[in-house]
Amino acid sequence: MTRRFQIHKKNLRNFFYPESIAVVGTNRQKGTVPGDVFINLLKAEFNGVIFPVSPRDTFISGVKTYKYVIDIEDPVDLAVIVFPSSVVHLALEQCGKKGIKAVIVISAGFREVGGVGKEREDLLMEIAEKYEMSVIGPNCLGVINTDSRVRLNASFARSLPHEGNIGFISQSGALCTGVLDYARAHHIGFSKFISFGNKPDVNEIDLLYYLAEDEKTSIILIYLEEISDGRGLMQAAEHVIEKGNKPVLLLKGGRTSEGASAAASHTGSLAGSDRICDAACLQSGIIRCDTIEDMFNIAVAYAYQPVPRTNKVAIITNAGGPGVLATDAVVREGLKIAQFSEETTDILRKSLPATANINNPVDVIGDARADRYKVAMKAVCDDPEVGGLFVILTPQSMTEINEIAQEVINVSSQYDKPLYASFMGEADVGEGIQMLRRNRVPHYFLPESMAKSFVKAYYFNELAKESGTEHVPVEDVDRDKTHQLLNKAIEAKRKHLPEFEAVKVLETYKLPLLPNGLANSADQAAELADEVGYPVVMKVMSEDIVHKYDVEGVELNIRSKEEAGKAYEEIMKRVGQYAPQARIDGIFVTRQIPKGEEIILGIKRDPVFGPVIMFGMGGVYVEVFEDISFGVAPLDGNATEKMMERIKAYPLLKGFRGRKARDLKVLKDTIMRLSQLAVDCPQIKELDINPLILLEEGQGAYIADAKLML
Amino acid sequence: MERQEIKERVKKVIANVLNTDIAEISDDANFIFDLGADSIQSVQLIAGFEEEFDIDMDEDKAKEVQTVSGAIDFIAGYLD
Repeated sequence: MTRRFQIHKKNLRNFFYPESIAVVGTNRQKGTVPGDVFINLLKAEFNGVIFPVSPRDTFISGVKTYKYVIDIEDPVDLAVIVFPSSVVHLALEQCGKKGIKAVIVISAGFREVGGVGKEREDLLMEIAEKYEMSVIGPNCLGVINTDSRVRLNASFARSLPHEGNIGFISQSGALCTGVLDYARAHHIGFSKFISFGNKPDVNEIDLLYYLAEDEKTSIILIYLEEISDGRGLMQAAEHVIEKGNKPVLLLKGGRTSEGASAAASHTGSLAGSDRICDAACLQSGIIRCDTIEDMFNIAVAYAYQPVPRTNKVAIITNAGGPGVLATDAVVREGLKIAQFSEETTDILRKSLPATANINNPVDVIGDARADRYKVAMKAVCDDPEVGGLFVILTPQSMTEINEIAQEVINVSSQYDKPLYASFMGEADVGEGIQMLRRNRVPHYFLPESMAKSFVKAYYFNELAKESGTEHVPVEDVDRDKTHQLLNKAIEAKRKHLPEFEAVKVLETYKLPLLPNGLANSADQAAELADEVGYPVVMKVMSEDIVHKYDVEGVELNIRSKEEAGKAYEEIMKRVGQYAPQARIDGIFVTRQIPKGEEIILGIKRDPVFGPVIMFGMGGVYVEVFEDISFGVAPLDGNATEKMMERIKAYPLLKGFRGRKARDLKVLKDTIMRLSQLAVDCPQIKELDINPLILLEEGQGAYIADAKLML
Repeated sequence: MERQEIKERVKKVIANVLNTDIAEISDDANFIFDLGADSIQSVQLIAGFEEEFDIDMDEDKAKEVQTVSGAIDFIAGYLD
């Protein structure tokens, strides 16, 4: 852990549980950020002392001001700086001298404006470092803690949100105000609400570790536009999930694959940074969301209701169509429609009209009143087969909307099973929906959203059950030799290693290769062929020849010494005709690999997540369908298996309709060795193994071609 | 013009724009941090200096001047 991380660990509590706050640079002007931040603290009834620091005003709203923060005689736990950016450093310096360890800089005009703004931000960090202070911001909305022991609104948000158990961290301040307004309308409460702006100091990783320990927070939502340390974020999220048993939801702006470089290899061109971000989320257990609505749909499901223990869902509806839609959504999301016990169907048969559907989805019929809903909900919730309940209502003339809402609330409070509702419509059902939301029953306009949220809550539960596997480094490798080979190539200012040299590197990590060698004469080729064993394949090696087949530089199925010598002469002759200028390194001689499934593997370096491993099936699967998956190295056994399972064609590798299962054990070992190589050797910029030939179960796999970029 | 005279006239403008006692304006005072000028007053200060000294200042450079002593130096540059 870095020194700054340790400093933040010590200081972060002061941001959320201060006993005294100085608002530095405030004034009497309501409707301005400097004025409103002070007023907001007063309005929220902060449970502590507030010191307004204003160079001009002698008092604000009846509270005596101080000209400078150092004039305050009492200790100050937290400073909120609202001065213009040009003088924030002066205020921060005084905060340091005063001994304040937590500072929120709300002011804008720093890195986000470039030029002098970047210099100002760097200066703030120098001061923070000098006084061992932690800084949230600059260019942020501020910090909110709804805990009734504190009631802190150190921000320019309109009001303190409802108290709740959702922790919200956002890089965008403007988004925060929209989120707060949305949340207020939907009766969604927060534990901590943090806007951290440019985040040169305290960032999402520090805050995740803090919220992991925060007793008031049970779920963490993050909005990010820029991930500064991908691996750090993954580790922090894993810590929150494993140690805190709290889900982490991420909404990330900028989904475009701007990071996809125009690299020569497959790995480079296919590995857009957003796909890698997706992979990193899956690997670390972060639930990635597409929209704010999506994020809050999942958040309320988790925050308000018990976590689903099984994926078997019951649906109760007063309308056939929405019941069908909900059933479709349940199945599409990979959930199951619960099969009721005989006891349940008996109760439903006795209690509902003859025209009702007593099987799942239960249709209580359009004229159902509250009593009918009540009996159906209770019967279904009593059934041990049911893991969760979706209640759907459409407003007919006789539908007792508010009474049914009340019954839903009652049942929800009586059972330890998740219950979500969808009262379809807007005007007539509005009051009922508000009743549900006020009473912590998640409400969704569409049945599809219910299923989507349920599956995410269930997914987290399943994830939490899996014990985290520690990464065990692959040790039976020759690291010294690998570094020797790579460093020698780098010293020679080489950017790329051809196959015959790449395989030498791969051999040091015991990656699956057949015997091989490089021949520079027909006699040498004949001797080598004898050594590696027949049948043999021979390929021309030249940095000037990208596609060996285009120059007829490959000979397959060579079965004797004589054939090998002859093949050498013929390859050299043909290459001489097709590419007379090409510099030839020699002819690569290796044993021919038997037929098998073509696999593509690769290493790429992502600017955010570091070394990344790519995996897919070769040929059309990768070329046409882009059926590939990524994993952030180092990969443990569990993560490797999940990465393999993520490609659509995976069932083919497991054996499918007469196709025999492939050697997945060797494939897994190969991927893990590749992951270790990527971690150990930052000299490798990219590596393409295309193809690896994967044989049937028990028969292994062999690398047929490899390119390595330095 | 003597530096002392420039200083006195600069402080007079500041006291006038910021409605402050001239005795409270130190030579190294920062307009925002020490004297509490807001963004409008910062523009008014530039206009006040131009009028007082009958000069036409470069607005972008003038905005970078943050202190009393900085203003004196900046204005002296125009009067040389």
